[in-house]
Amino acid sequence: MNPTPLQARIMSAALFLVLLGLWELAVRQWGLSALVLPAPSAVAAALWTGLASGYFWPHIAATLQALVLGLAAGGLIGLFAGMALAESALLERVLKPYVVVSQVVPKLALAPLFVLWFGFGLLPTVLITALICFFPLMENTLTGLRQVDAQRLQLFRMLGATRLQTLLRLKLPTGLPAILAGLRVAVVLALVGVVVAEFMGASQGLGAVVIAAQGMMDTTLMFAALVIIAAIGLLLYQACIVLERRLLRAHAFPTSPSARSRANL
Amino acid sequence: MAFLDIEQVVFTYAGRSPVVNGVDWRMQAGDFHCLLGRSGCGKTTLLQLAAGLLRPQSGRIVLSGGELAAPGPQLGFMFQAPTLLDWHRVLGNVLLPVSLQRKPTPQDEARALQLLRQLGLAAHAHDYPRQLSGGQQSRVALARALILEPPLLLLDEPFAALDAITRAELQDDLLRTCRELGTTVLFVTHDINEAVYLGDRIALMQGGRIVDDIAITLPAPRTQALRHGPAFNEICARVRACMDRASA
Repeated sequence: MNPTPLQARIMSAALFLVLLGLWELAVRQWGLSALVLPAPSAVAAALWTGLASGYFWPHIAATLQALVLGLAAGGLIGLFAGMALAESALLERVLKPYVVVSQVVPKLALAPLFVLWFGFGLLPTVLITALICFFPLMENTLTGLRQVDAQRLQLFRMLGATRLQTLLRLKLPTGLPAILAGLRVAVVLALVGVVVAEFMGASQGLGAVVIAAQGMMDTTLMFAALVIIAAIGLLLYQACIVLERRLLRAHAFPTSPSARSRANL
Repeated sequence: MAFLDIEQVVFTYAGRSPVVNGVDWRMQAGDFHCLLGRSGCGKTTLLQLAAGLLRPQSGRIVLSGGELAAPGPQLGFMFQAPTLLDWHRVLGNVLLPVSLQRKPTPQDEARALQLLRQLGLAAHAHDYPRQLSGGQQSRVALARALILEPPLLLLDEPFAALDAITRAELQDDLLRTCRELGTTVLFVTHDINEAVYLGDRIALMQGGRIVDDIAITLPAPRTQALRHGPAFNEICARVRACMDRASA
């Protein structure tokens, strides 16, 4: 018997509750100190207090701001760089080594340097996030645009299409699934990048909260911040999936069961 | 003056023996010629030369106006596969040659819908290509090739992947539509039956040369019943004999 998607979701939620219950039980049973492992109930209480008192909101806003700015800057630059490199073999040969070198350097290790150069605050965080988002989008755009089959290219030549028309009306739509997959990867990496960058150079943001909580030995607060970070990650990932569904509705693979059954007619 | 004039055309890929080796061929306006030959005889290359997708190393290909063959909206082209864009609906695919030139007008749309109706696809104008069968996709490709009413239509085994019945339907659709529009057609195929049924003349190609020029004297318009008559089969046998003689 194959479970339906709804049943699978219920099972997933039930597993979550069981794990939470075991955690709560373990903490109470062995009398663990809240400094080592706070009980889920304590984390929930801290989370609620923080949200209700308004303590978390400026930090959430700061993290989201850095994330969106970094993602937009890095993503757009990556997209255009991918398009340029896909269009020009010369450009690819000249620039690709530099791009690869810039990516094999661990970007988070650049955080102290960026703090030194740009001071504490938003800018170094955004820069690191942008640097992280750049690569998956560039690489996937480059790969995606190259996936156009020769016959479609010949069709566009036959119809007298300009190079720009071929790029915008053939190559980009063909590469769109790959580009969006790159965006999905970039979003997840960006969140990690923002938080870690905030560890080092920020007075605001959820990463700064984690570091502050560590300093105050307030493990419960740290967990509450981690819960918020996880929630943001889940929401962003889900937003990407929704975006993909909308943009790829017309693409070759069926996205809904009704489309699939009609295609088989 | 011929509508399409292929003069002493030679084409070679670097470092190989010529794929097209000194071909002469003439077409008058409104002709329907078939280029028949085995795989690898150079017929697709010759078609690409006629389309201006490739440039001959020597010789030239001249259209009626005196200009050299070049890709563009004055040519309709159909590939072996339908080559539709998955992310456009059927109507968008048919209008592609228009929308690459200018913004399609309501008249263009009406024209596209009329073509689709002629090809029995009126109900599918707003479907995506993946929702169509192979034969329907080929019809959409045919409508796309005809939307700008090009004076010259070049087809490269467009029906090779279809089943026999669908192929016969599409052959009739093609003949009827091109007769109505007065289109000149050069049709590449490896199928003797198809060549005899469609063409007024068959150019038999072998090893990069045209080795035989066979006029088909069957009544027009062609009907499917013709296929079972003795005249049709006699011509097929004669073409087959020519092919065997050429390769011997």
